Amino acid sequence: MGRWVGWLAALALAAGLVLGLGYAPKDAVQGNVQRIMYIHVPSILTAYLAFALVLVASVGFLLTRRTEWDRLSHASAELGVIFTGLTLVSGSIWGKPTWGTWWTWDARLTSTAILFMIYVGYLLLRGMVEDRERGAKYAAVVGIVGAVNIPIVHFSVLWWRTLHQPPTILGPERAPISPAMALALFVNWIAFLLIFLYFLSKRLTLRRLEEEVHA
Amino acid sequence: MPDHWGFVFAAYGIAAVVLFGYWRHLIRREAELAGLKARREAKRA
Repeated sequence: MGRWVGWLAALALAAGLVLGLGYAPKDAVQGNVQRIMYIHVPSILTAYLAFALVLVASVGFLLTRRTEWDRLSHASAELGVIFTGLTLVSGSIWGKPTWGTWWTWDARLTSTAILFMIYVGYLLLRGMVEDRERGAKYAAVVGIVGAVNIPIVHFSVLWWRTLHQPPTILGPERAPISPAMALALFVNWIAFLLIFLYFLSKRLTLRRLEEEVHA
Repeated sequence: MPDHWGFVFAAYGIAAVVLFGYWRHLIRREAELAGLKARREAKRA
């Protein structure tokens, strides 16, 4: 199944690239630099999903102590860090021409950076504790506490006055976006979700192999 | 506003390098561990 998801992800990515860089119209205000949105927004939405999975799997692990939950939590956290990292980098590159700066201590940017650091810490913690069972338990607690930051990141642009624009999608009002832009965004979102699923299946296999080899 | 295609390509390029790099890492590590596991099993047999 994993291979098929991988091929589907590759196809969706190719379609997303064509739509994002070619089909979607140039933004009337920002020009072509707005096309960064087609990777920036799917990256953070995928990261939200990954960290939500960490939360569910961490609760599952603490309740049942089953390794499957721990594997899911570990794999999702690693992917969440990658997609949050992509969000921060693409946002910084987008920020320079539009805001005139690579970085500013705005509520959205800062809360996203904190989210990133929490889960980097989560991964470091797992590596630091030698006893796997104990490490999994500590990580599960961090995974649950860290999830509190997800709504803070998402709603930061509504709760505080920020340089970052309000949410384009998943906001309180219907997004003022052209259908062609919405299509490009949607296809890229699907592509990122498929990549996430493919990577997740691969990372879970890897984690199982790690356990077998180090047993 | 100028088009800033350079920024667009930089963002897409970095995303491509990160995702491809992570994929390569997963594939290589999986092959490495599968090889290690197979060698161990062969020794035991």
